[in-house]
Amino acid sequence: MGNMKIKAKVKNDGIVGVKVLAKHDMLTYDQAKKKGKEANFITHITAKVGDTIVYDVSTSQFWSKNPQFKFKFKGAKKGDKLTITWTDLSGKTVTESKKIK
Amino acid sequence: MNRRKFLGLGVMALAALPATLSAFASIDFRATKPDAWKAKTVDDAIKALYGDIKPEEKGVTVKAPKVASNGGAVPVTIKSDIPAKTVAVFQNMDPESAVAVFNVPENGIVDYFLKMKLKATDENGGNGKITAILEGTDGKFYKGTVDLQVAKGGCEG
Repeated sequence: MGNMKIKAKVKNDGIVGVKVLAKHDMLTYDQAKKKGKEANFITHITAKVGDTIVYDVSTSQFWSKNPQFKFKFKGAKKGDKLTITWTDLSGKTVTESKKIK
Repeated sequence: MNRRKFLGLGVMALAALPATLSAFASIDFRATKPDAWKAKTVDDAIKALYGDIKPEEKGVTVKAPKVASNGGAVPVTIKSDIPAKTVAVFQNMDPESAVAVFNVPENGIVDYFLKMKLKATDENGGNGKITAILEGTDGKFYKGTVDLQVAKGGCEG
């Protein structure tokens, strides 16, 4: 738990493509009830380069277990640091950084 | 011994930076629009998030497999060239409809991929649909949908 795999690559057109695999059970309310656990899932993901937000999403329980997601943005270059933070329902926050290739 | 004076170099112009750096702020739509996440139908969720809107059915592409064998991780892509403020994604298979609300930054591109957990469409009369609503920077709303079947549900696990 609490890990993230990030791949970020800038292409010739200056667009950065990002692939992320976040480790999280993403336990829905129904699943949690069956298992006698508390529901818990990622509720928000934000990605930044420096102070600039490049991706910002509020999420629901219906993202898959160990959610995979991709996004694109402009305005960063090779070597810049991309920082991704997620927050879950329990209030836990995980942040990981990766240099853009 | 002659001393060289460095005075000429002494004054550096301090560029006064305008305070306009990254005015774009993160928005937690779960906090600002709590009812949108509890809504059981796509229409109710859209209403709770955006109000009574009449989206144009163009300009937004939603891609998903026609038949998803594994409902535990259905790959979905949402794309658009329309300058967007927000993009919201809903489906009609799970107990609640909202899946994601993207807050699109100025440098952002609407080309989002995510994997969804979806219940088998047999339990929903055989009609699975994913709906994306794009709130344009022009103040208009746009809509894209895709129909799909989910063979094995992914919410039971």
